[in-house]
Amino acid sequence: MLLDQLPLIARPALYLDPGSGSFLIQLLLAVGLGAGVAIKMYWTKLKNFFSGKKDAPQPEADAQDDDE
Amino acid sequence: MLKMTMNNQPLSASFRDPSGFLFERDGVLYRQVNQLYQPHYDQLMQSGLYERLVKAKRLIPHQEVSVEPLQPEVAYRVIQPERLAFISYPYEWSFSQLKDAALLTLKLQKRALEYGMWLKDASAYNIQFHQGRPVLIDTLSFERYPEGQPWVAYRQFCQHFLAPLALMAYRDVRLNQLLRVYIDGVPLDLASRLLPWHTRLNFGLSAHIHLHAAAQQRYSDKAVQPGAQQRQVSKMGLIGLIDSLENTVRKLKWQPAGTEWGDYYDATNYTRDAFEQKKQLVDRWIEQLRPAQVWDLGANTGVFSRLASDRGIFTVAADIDPAAVDKSYQEMRQKKETCLHPLLIDLTNPSPALGWHNQERDSLIDRGPVDLVLALALVHHLAISNNVPLVDVARFFAHLGRSAIVEFVPKSDSQVQRLLSSRVDIFPNYTREGFEAAFGQFFTIRAVEAVEGSQRLLYLLERKN
Repeated sequence: MLLDQLPLIARPALYLDPGSGSFLIQLLLAVGLGAGVAIKMYWTKLKNFFSGKKDAPQPEADAQDDDE
Repeated sequence: MLKMTMNNQPLSASFRDPSGFLFERDGVLYRQVNQLYQPHYDQLMQSGLYERLVKAKRLIPHQEVSVEPLQPEVAYRVIQPERLAFISYPYEWSFSQLKDAALLTLKLQKRALEYGMWLKDASAYNIQFHQGRPVLIDTLSFERYPEGQPWVAYRQFCQHFLAPLALMAYRDVRLNQLLRVYIDGVPLDLASRLLPWHTRLNFGLSAHIHLHAAAQQRYSDKAVQPGAQQRQVSKMGLIGLIDSLENTVRKLKWQPAGTEWGDYYDATNYTRDAFEQKKQLVDRWIEQLRPAQVWDLGANTGVFSRLASDRGIFTVAADIDPAAVDKSYQEMRQKKETCLHPLLIDLTNPSPALGWHNQERDSLIDRGPVDLVLALALVHHLAISNNVPLVDVARFFAHLGRSAIVEFVPKSDSQVQRLLSSRVDIFPNYTREGFEAAFGQFFTIRAVEAVEGSQRLLYLLERKN
């Protein structure tokens, strides 16, 4: 496994076994879901470009989100 | 999480992660951070992530202290986390409690990524309810994000959170009790078999439970092929995965069948005046006793628990009914109450000590005793529905609390009549005299008051030494 090749010192995470099946399904899902995130992001950028909005998140909204 | 064993020993729930461990010394709880974890700890503290999460009350605050580490040869730091009033476990949470804990875990994962870190585990036992909100209590859960790696805790998240929540929402809310059997979360193949077929049409459940379980089964005894080892999960892919888990969890809903939340209240058989009088009496006794912590057993939606918690007294509102506990929790979140902890407990079979060496998770009794136990309209359920002799009920309460406020509901009361309607009355000692004799073995009766308009009696009891 890829994870075995990493030095133990750097990865305390290794205490969990991610599991072969979980590892592979995650690779598969991440490709599709990552593409979805990318499309959504570019779509938002495109929309904002044409509507003249800025696409950076509002810091206030973010702070509020933290306190919910 | 915390098993309070011997001083100067790592606590027995704290052995899995080599990053560090909890220990107790002179009654104070510490966490040793090991050298192995140093770069990750430093990044957590210096990147601004710790400060932000603590400010948002999503991570338990700690202080770095200069006490002697328990294992100095591997130690980097010793920290003293803020102590929790009570530790509870996911099998003691209602649907909304587990759902909020799941959403918090995903929120933390996303927030950590902004600071170049991620969660290296996603255990439901790392979340506790503190001052009315779920918080992460394991400071050592964060790791520097090794870009390109798949999320090592993906399986754990699905087992600890997604599978039980889906089973509760789509099959039966009582299936959260599977968490009591499976200490590392519900096995996904089991969840996949138990979930209704139509959940395969739900993208999130289909992907993260059904397909995930199939993949696990298929590759259970195989190592990942060398070709696949080179494959990476991009940061975008990881965010997509987290978003998908979040959407899936968010959409899971549960409501008790045949009821509306607004209608949910256990009808009483006495008047509003009597109810108010009972509240005033209990309130007065609480004021007199000034307990540091109260456990309200059979709390229903927590009306009486709130007499204590509204005074700033930390109160556990325990009930067997998942709907009542959930309603109590939702009310607590809505009103931003900070001293209440709704808890799902079957008192006829309270949580036992579980896990490795039976020491990873404490039994309910191990988490007591507390200053005050409230047992209102409860004793008849234990004594008649569950055949527990009154003397054993008294012994149990004496185990849990130094004082108790106990309501005795006599046989003549319609609630007890209802319990007896379908069975032979084999309880000749279930009388006022029998109650006082049984409780008198363990407690001194400090006061007795009648509840107006009923034949019920309220007792203020103090445990004998």
